[in-house]
Amino acid sequence: MRSGRAGTLPAAIGALCRALPLESRPAPETFRLAKFDRPQASLRRVLSPKPAEISTQIRFVKSVLWYHGYGRPEFYQLPSDGSVGSRELLLAFSWLLNRINLLEQLLIANRVKIGDETSVCTCEGNLPNTWKGRTEIVPELCLKSEVDVRYLQWLNGRLRFQWRNLHVDHQEQCKLFHKIHSYTVGCHIDHTIGHFSVTEVDLVRQPHSYKQLLQLLESETSRLEAFLEWKQLEPVYWHWMVMNQPNIKDVKSEERELPDEREFCAAVRTITEAVELKLSDLKYHCAHKKNGMHGPYRLVFKDKTVISELRMQEAKLGRQLKRLQEECRHKLDQIAEGLAGVICIPPTKR
Amino acid sequence: MLPAACAHRVVSILSQALEDCAEKKKKLEDNLALCRALLGDWKVQTPESPKPECDPAGDQVSEPSAKELEELELLNRALEKALRVRKSTLQSPLGALGAAGGEKAAEKKPATSIARTQRAPCSKESIPKTIKVTSVSKKAAFSKKFPTYMLKAPYRTDPVKAPTHQSSRAPKMTGEASTKQVRKTAPATSLCQEVFCAVAEPSGSPRSLPCEQQSSSSFGGSASGKNPVAADPENDCPGSSTESPMTQSQKAGDFLVGSTTARTFTLQEKGSLLKLPLPYRKAYTRNSRLWEKCRLCQSSSATAAVRNHFLERMQASFCSSAPALSPAEIEEEVMVLHDTHSFLSQCMESETTGHPTWEREYESLLTLEGLRDMASQCLLKLQQLHAAAESQVRLRPSDCTHSTRTSLEDCTSFRGRRCGATPLLFYSSVQELREMTSLKLQVAMLHQQIHIQKVLVAELLPVVESRLPQDESPSHLYRAVYTQLCEGGERFPVLVNDELPD
Repeated sequence: MRSGRAGTLPAAIGALCRALPLESRPAPETFRLAKFDRPQASLRRVLSPKPAEISTQIRFVKSVLWYHGYGRPEFYQLPSDGSVGSRELLLAFSWLLNRINLLEQLLIANRVKIGDETSVCTCEGNLPNTWKGRTEIVPELCLKSEVDVRYLQWLNGRLRFQWRNLHVDHQEQCKLFHKIHSYTVGCHIDHTIGHFSVTEVDLVRQPHSYKQLLQLLESETSRLEAFLEWKQLEPVYWHWMVMNQPNIKDVKSEERELPDEREFCAAVRTITEAVELKLSDLKYHCAHKKNGMHGPYRLVFKDKTVISELRMQEAKLGRQLKRLQEECRHKLDQIAEGLAGVICIPPTKR
Repeated sequence: MLPAACAHRVVSILSQALEDCAEKKKKLEDNLALCRALLGDWKVQTPESPKPECDPAGDQVSEPSAKELEELELLNRALEKALRVRKSTLQSPLGALGAAGGEKAAEKKPATSIARTQRAPCSKESIPKTIKVTSVSKKAAFSKKFPTYMLKAPYRTDPVKAPTHQSSRAPKMTGEASTKQVRKTAPATSLCQEVFCAVAEPSGSPRSLPCEQQSSSSFGGSASGKNPVAADPENDCPGSSTESPMTQSQKAGDFLVGSTTARTFTLQEKGSLLKLPLPYRKAYTRNSRLWEKCRLCQSSSATAAVRNHFLERMQASFCSSAPALSPAEIEEEVMVLHDTHSFLSQCMESETTGHPTWEREYESLLTLEGLRDMASQCLLKLQQLHAAAESQVRLRPSDCTHSTRTSLEDCTSFRGRRCGATPLLFYSSVQELREMTSLKLQVAMLHQQIHIQKVLVAELLPVVESRLPQDESPSHLYRAVYTQLCEGGERFPVLVNDELPD
């Protein structure tokens, strides 16, 4: 360990800890102690902030890491009582930190909501996945007996009614938003925004409620500062982690251990790292070039505004639904032909 | 009747949908209630509103005003007695005043009759009384304003010297001093709610503006040239330093005078005068500056190298039989494919429209060929992803949970979120906003409907197919299923018996 760096490691770890959300913040000591394989609850807490019993936490942490592709078998073999494994946890945590920019993700996820937020994307991915997941997870309803089909009709009718209600409420909210926004034009310090959001107006009206918001904002600000500090001191942490990594059949690292060849190996290392960086840059550009193939088509896409895109989506989905309904009509017509003595007259199309 | 097995799935889906709707509705209702409260009348807060113990607007205000009115009743009676005593001695110099006051009263819209009777005899006399009223009926917080009036008190509370004082000051009354004096009463008026507002004469009305600022906690009025801020000690005595802008604020004051009678604040009228509290403003600017910095901060190449080095060493220690693509990557790729698909289908639709010239037709033909190639590539990719997902399930360690929706990061919602200022979505009119919202809702609803439709088809059609041929009276089931599947539950088919009468 180079002497110049030794002093900044605690600073780096301190900045890392301060950049984490308050409720899952480990003490900086944790990192140093984690090297020695001990039960370490606080590192686990970072990854699974919801308080739960140890085995649930451990299972959750393992799932998260599996989800992101962590592949150390020693980690997954850790016992579920949390008695050992702080070193593996440290490795896993650092890996996640590196791989998915965990700090940034946490900062973004926990961002204080001040403005009137809305989303534009209509990612279908959200809906069907959650639907499917839920129908599996939903516990068996006590439908031991048969169900009248009219019950389904009734449920469906209720759903349509709810949607209409929701629609009306949303329209009302638009109106109110517009009023509030237009009445407070020119008040905001940020000129690109220009007017207040609902939260900000409420802030002015009930100053005592803004103390909590202020606290949240200030804690977010201090976390951001810690994050920037961390970005400066990061290399120290990673060097330390590399030292802590288990011995891997890596020829270079063994050479590094020999003091008399240290300078030579340091030079080799910098060169290989630079080459690695160049290669990953190249890969990155290749991936982007592939997207570039779609370039000329993409331009058309961008010209469209949000509303026209939404209209197109609505039309497309409407057609899809109609198609499904048509298919059903065909099938049911066929069935009707099989019925003796009955003719089915479909309802008139309006 | 439907068998329990198939009905179960349908019922659970529909119930889920209903629950979702109810949840969204609840969230929306809370927001709506808040918006409506903000757009309604904000009762002018009592002076301690900057302090934490104050209740939300409207709760406390009704009580003090009732109490105040009672006190004012008593005080007014005392006033009248005193006035009757003094009337004879101070008749002449104050007669002019009274006339002037009367004129002003005529101009101004008086709030209540109490105020009028109080004013009629002489405004001068009421001045010391109003100050006393101020001290009596005001809450403790206003004691900080009290000293300023105490300073002026000797001029007014000394009735013995009154004749000389008043005669010398009578001409002044019409000048600036009058504004000063009456100005001092104006806080009393604004504080004593509507009863005293009549005393806030047009010349004194400019004063009511800063008073209102004081009394209405964090409302900042640029009219007075100052920006009082909630709980800001520097706002203690805006009155003493607001003499110069008096004339300028005259107009604003007049404007406010008209509404002082209502004594409420509406966003509509005065929204543009609002200012955020200073601590919040500071925090906000610091916060947004830091987010920008975070966005611009890039890792140096040395850092990136070390990070990659660490990652690769870790990778070397990974199990060699681990699947190549992690679940996260698979999901990401699926999203990309999904986007590509919708993009491709859009292009395809635009290409299949009519082509006037052969060049255009040829161009669209070539484009379609290119699209077809891209589509087949995507299909190949999809197959690979499918295989990867299956191997994932196979190799998953035993104690990992199945659900991929980890609460640590909800990947779909993280798509495209970056450091920096929250992206802004501009809208130019209410219609635009409403249209966008209704379209979004429509799309979401259609998604849901399509999904439900698919489930219904899968569950109900087999039942109909298997049961109906043998069923005695198929009409109920048939019509019910028909309406659900083909008409979205809105219309029914008609079944006619095909039996010719013999």
